Amino acid sequence: MPEPIYLDHAATTPVRQEVLDAMVPFYGPRFGNPSSAHRWGRDARTALDEARERVAHCLGARSDEICFTSGGTEADNIAILGAWRALSGSGRRAVVTTPIEHKAVLGAVHQAAKEGAQERFTAMRDTGAVDLSSFNDVVRNDTAIASVMWVNNEIGTIQPIDDLARHAKSVGALFHTDAVQAFGNVAIDASTVPFDVLTVSGHKIGAPKGIGAVFIRRGLVIEPLFHGGTQDRGRRPGTENVAAAVGFARAAELAVAEREAHWLQLERLRDRLEAGILARVPDAVVHGRGGPRAPHIVNVSVPGTDSESMLMALDLRGIGCSAGSACQSGSVSPSHVLSAIGVSNELASAAIRMSVGALTTEAAVDRVVEVYPALIAKVRGANAAAAAD
Amino acid sequence: MTMHGERVLVAMSGGVDSSVAAALLVEQGYDVVGATMKLFCHDGDLPDRPCCSLDSVNDARRVCHALGIPHYVLNLESAFGRDVVDDFVREYAEGRTPIPCVRCNTFTKFRDLVAKADTIDARWIATGHYARVVDSTLHRGLDHAKDQSYFLWGIDRRVLDRMILPVGAQTKSETRAVAHRLGLEVVAEKRESQDICFVPDGDHTKVIRQRLGPDASSLAAGPFLLSDGTVVGAHDGHARFTIGQRRGLPGGFREPMFVVGIRPADRAVVIGPRAELLGRGLTARHMNWLVDAPFVGSTVDVQVRHRAPTVSALIVRLDRDEIELALDEPVAAITPGQSLVLYDGERVLGGGVIESGKRQLPVRAA
Repeated sequence: MPEPIYLDHAATTPVRQEVLDAMVPFYGPRFGNPSSAHRWGRDARTALDEARERVAHCLGARSDEICFTSGGTEADNIAILGAWRALSGSGRRAVVTTPIEHKAVLGAVHQAAKEGAQERFTAMRDTGAVDLSSFNDVVRNDTAIASVMWVNNEIGTIQPIDDLARHAKSVGALFHTDAVQAFGNVAIDASTVPFDVLTVSGHKIGAPKGIGAVFIRRGLVIEPLFHGGTQDRGRRPGTENVAAAVGFARAAELAVAEREAHWLQLERLRDRLEAGILARVPDAVVHGRGGPRAPHIVNVSVPGTDSESMLMALDLRGIGCSAGSACQSGSVSPSHVLSAIGVSNELASAAIRMSVGALTTEAAVDRVVEVYPALIAKVRGANAAAAAD
Repeated sequence: MTMHGERVLVAMSGGVDSSVAAALLVEQGYDVVGATMKLFCHDGDLPDRPCCSLDSVNDARRVCHALGIPHYVLNLESAFGRDVVDDFVREYAEGRTPIPCVRCNTFTKFRDLVAKADTIDARWIATGHYARVVDSTLHRGLDHAKDQSYFLWGIDRRVLDRMILPVGAQTKSETRAVAHRLGLEVVAEKRESQDICFVPDGDHTKVIRQRLGPDASSLAAGPFLLSDGTVVGAHDGHARFTIGQRRGLPGGFREPMFVVGIRPADRAVVIGPRAELLGRGLTARHMNWLVDAPFVGSTVDVQVRHRAPTVSALIVRLDRDEIELALDEPVAAITPGQSLVLYDGERVLGGGVIESGKRQLPVRAA
């Protein structure tokens, strides 16, 4: 088999060499616990503080506004549940989000509802964008927090975070955005966009899995999820993952420095992939093309096929993609995101997400485009025969 | 005998039989792809089910990893619900005792999974069944104590050309020994799945209630009758009974009593002594043949229940998908909904779903 092709950068990315190099000393001589009072502790503490400052700088934030977490899911939970719990006595009982959020946000909102919050969802436009009048309608003076993802992880749609955050502020609600897929793709500046809480994750930008951060605007009180020591001002007790934080800081700096070049490069690859597929499979449907979108995702459905068979067939040809949201067992169910933006069940259950990134070359894109129509034909044929039986 | 890298899709439950099946195929040089079918979802309330639980999927995945082959989880939940679970519930409503495994083999494994095999260019399909494919015909497993051919009569005959049953020529202990030899300790001593995979803790009425609601007629109270119509008690749902059952019947009779009939129309469960349980004939429907259909007047071996001994029978009527048989000797508890499987020695000829048993010996129409 020719060299396998990784087209799943929205799922995770390989750790960058620069990042690994930055981390290595903290698995060796610089192993100290940042809470210790001795030289080993001081050394680790210095590295952690620097990492925090560097991440803050990448987000236009101040270093006390950055809290390191185990990743995006924890950060989303701190943001939504932490804010909800801190505000639940205030009379603001509504928690608002969109139906296309990552499961981490949907799950946290659902938990808030179990704790007495009123769960409210915005309407979506079929372009994949939040319906602004619906947002303005459901985010009112009874709203504790509204959460809208900056870039969608399945279709790449970019939401107008500045407008949404401003509206939320105007009615006194907190605004959170899950920027996991946005970081490194769109410019994030806490000094100009008035979000209160923001989530980023390391492993989407070349840092290891298990590290992320939540931006919490200065002055905002968030109820911690964990209880224990006073690390990170008590917002996130537990000995900090110094090595990963240092790696994350390095990856964040690289991502911000390279952002524009990265965008252009991925956009070129994405357009080549998309054009190639549409030229060879004219009835293919690319989701989320109607509005602004990040450059790394092609989410495509072909009538008469199904995601599960396509993923399997692609994988057996050495091409790694993903579909919908994988459940715990690894089986595939139709995407809640596509259903929410009005994609028919038939197309939603045929969707394949291809995401380009650091490992993607033009030659790889060309080979996918070449292999793809034959796989489509095979799956279509088998499904048609099965339906006729 | 290596097959030069021809691709085979193996249905892997996470149990020892299908794991060894996959391992043997890898040894024989096939390009093996493992797949675990996700057939139902109990939202995690059944952590210890031997099949289809998350642990089983993980075991199958670990075995595939150890064998160096890809593994996929295939979600066949909606088709399985329609083809197998809905039918299961409907059959109970009709007073029959269904075998969902038969329909799972017919529709899920050897139709839907075959369609998946087609999408990945897999020439072959394999399972861990104890049965054998010999010259494109289906034979009993070599180990008669484990034989599962009874459950396979319904498959499309054309599938036999691409079906491999790697453990069918060995005993269960040989299968376990192979698992140990190949280092598949994850599954080597795993206990056998006995129950129906989608039935929580052996109580099929839960599934009926889940699908039809608490007012399902097959779970509503009805009378116990003798065959002369005398009411001798009341029961709380005919779906709790099967032909030949003794448990849960009213007492006070001189002879042991058995369920001898179930009549959904008046929700009656008819009970009687052993003599009333014996049948000399039967009809079956939905006949499927794995060889060219035999003729009326031929004598065949038949089996009317899993693990029941075979008896010799004469085909007295054979329409397109219905058959009537005269049995050479009386057979106890011929149960509507169970399978009738016809054999010629080791070879499976075909089968169908039992419609009714007959106490009188049927005669061939002139």
